[in-house]
Amino acid sequence: MGYGRFLLKRGVQGVGVVWGVVTVVFILRFITPGSPIDTVAPLDASQETRQRIAEDLGLDQPLYVQYLDYLWELLQGNMGYSYISSIPASVQVFQKLPATLELAVAASVVAVVISIPLGVISATRRHQPADYAATSFSLLGISTPNFWLGIMLVLVFAVELNVFPTSGRAYGFMQSLAAITGPEPFFTVVTAWLASLFLPAITLGTYFTALITRLVRSGMLDELSEGYVRATRAKGLPETLVRYKHVLRNTLVPVVTVLGLQLGTLIGGAVITEAVFAWPGLGTEIIRAINARDWPILQGSLIVIGTGFVLLNIVVDALYAYLDPRVIAE
Amino acid sequence: MKIGPISISPRTIRNLRKEFRSSGLARIGVVLVVVIVLAAAFAPMIAPHNPRTQNLDRAQLPPLGFTDTEQRTSTEMVNGSVQTVTENVTVNATAQHPLGTNSLGQDILSRAIYGARTSLLVGLFGTVLAALLGVTVGLTAGYYRGRIDDALMRTADVSLAFPSLVLAIALIGLFSRFQADVAIAITDPLVTTGVAGSFRDAVGLPTPMPETFVLPTVVILVVGFVNWVWFARIARGEALSVREEEYVKAARALGASDVRIVFRHVLPNSITPILVLATIQVAAIILLESALSFLGFSGTTLSWGFDIAQGRDYLSSSWWIATVPGIAIVLSVIGINLVGDWLRDALDPGIEGEGGM
Repeated sequence: MGYGRFLLKRGVQGVGVVWGVVTVVFILRFITPGSPIDTVAPLDASQETRQRIAEDLGLDQPLYVQYLDYLWELLQGNMGYSYISSIPASVQVFQKLPATLELAVAASVVAVVISIPLGVISATRRHQPADYAATSFSLLGISTPNFWLGIMLVLVFAVELNVFPTSGRAYGFMQSLAAITGPEPFFTVVTAWLASLFLPAITLGTYFTALITRLVRSGMLDELSEGYVRATRAKGLPETLVRYKHVLRNTLVPVVTVLGLQLGTLIGGAVITEAVFAWPGLGTEIIRAINARDWPILQGSLIVIGTGFVLLNIVVDALYAYLDPRVIAE
Repeated sequence: MKIGPISISPRTIRNLRKEFRSSGLARIGVVLVVVIVLAAAFAPMIAPHNPRTQNLDRAQLPPLGFTDTEQRTSTEMVNGSVQTVTENVTVNATAQHPLGTNSLGQDILSRAIYGARTSLLVGLFGTVLAALLGVTVGLTAGYYRGRIDDALMRTADVSLAFPSLVLAIALIGLFSRFQADVAIAITDPLVTTGVAGSFRDAVGLPTPMPETFVLPTVVILVVGFVNWVWFARIARGEALSVREEEYVKAARALGASDVRIVFRHVLPNSITPILVLATIQVAAIILLESALSFLGFSGTTLSWGFDIAQGRDYLSSSWWIATVPGIAIVLSVIGINLVGDWLRDALDPGIEGEGGM
């Protein structure tokens, strides 16, 4: 099987999974108690009003018609309208998405920047103080609930030391870019943005920093015992080149795959981090939608998250197959 | 040693012992886990106070070794006019509440001890449920391969695309009109009739405090349901490799049924990685439960996550309310993770990565 066919196969599988996600999200509404009419209609609504709302929402149609309608509308980018604000769900979801993406990307940057050097040091100085420090840190990191870590960080850095804001999001990436030419002083805008992002990013990023450190450490220890390492050393390659060009590269390939699968954990972590820091993102929106039974928003958010997960995993698989063509044969 | 159809070889036991002796971390893990399990099982005897008793006169007392200054305002008559007087009062810790009290005057140590019950029960039952579901799916997929495998694993892919926490809050939130629906109260069997009960009678201890314990049933069902997929992936991989072994082929040639082959041959030979994963999953589910109760999607108020949420509102005045339950979570999860590492290193099942929250 060639690379093109491999990609095609993964693409088709991905479309199947997204279709599955959409179907589950659709079914979820019918197996949970309560009807959307209760959310939309006023408490004292007459039978006729309720009937009219049911017709408006298409609830009087047979189930399969509703399902096909839902799929057809989705294909055109229509996720319905919020039951609460009447704004199109797609608009509301994509308005909230950038804040969550910003948080997730910032946390990933924190995680990658800290964890890879830490894992490498830990593996190459096995059973030395640096290794013990890194192992202890990563054990602590994967064992700490991130919402509690967030609260402790707020306690220390916002309440006691008063160096970072306790909650909220100031400006944002796009506004910071706009400030280059805008009327507000660029430096003030960027500082405020980064200050509001700092604690949430650490909160969300710590678990992944710890996880990647562990993965890199154990992966590198495995790789260092491989025959090719001895061969490259015997060939006279400098140790740094052996470690970083050969060993680390081979270590990172499976690490990336594990991280692709952990993307759900990142999103789940973002939801609760948003709750701690009153971060106005998709997580806050999902909790609000669940409590208010705002179905179009909840369904839209879940579909966007699910699709994002599938897309990123296809990218990961494609990269993996490119770096290690043996995967395609399997 | 033989447990049902699964036999543990002397070599495995030897490896476990060897790893336990050589690794200090494994020992720390076992000690932590034993302490938490004992705290949970014997909570009514250990806890100095009823975790639910409120006493507003003793609210927000600091832990031993700390003092707290509190601003109290009172109105007084000074020279014939009413004035508001603000004075700083020093609040001292008391040995009756070694870890202080929360905003309702409940004893934080007692709540931390009782919280271990919720965490462990949800962690254990949730993991068992996830394992039953996931291992069944995984073994079926791996043993039959082909279409069944494709269908089951695509289902697993769909399930993975929903983050556990998000799916869990959606399910709990949507299935319960009111938060109270989420839990049912059961009479605590351990306290009234079980081992702890007879122990208590034997040594003549006073009547235990809460007679009922709320088991967050829906939470257990949901956390089990959202985490099955990790077990399915591992079990499938094992089944795929074991099914090609000679003894499985021999059993098939002898005319053994598929069910018999899977339960007598495939499952016992795949048990090691499943056990290691299960250990790590208990930790992951404890973290998930604490997150759920922090967000208010839990059936019980006797939970570490719930206490952290309460303490968060008093962060600037009484830092210990949110701090103590968090430390309890960290210690239990560290303990379980260390035991998981010990099992993994000793049994070497060749799995990497872990199921996340």
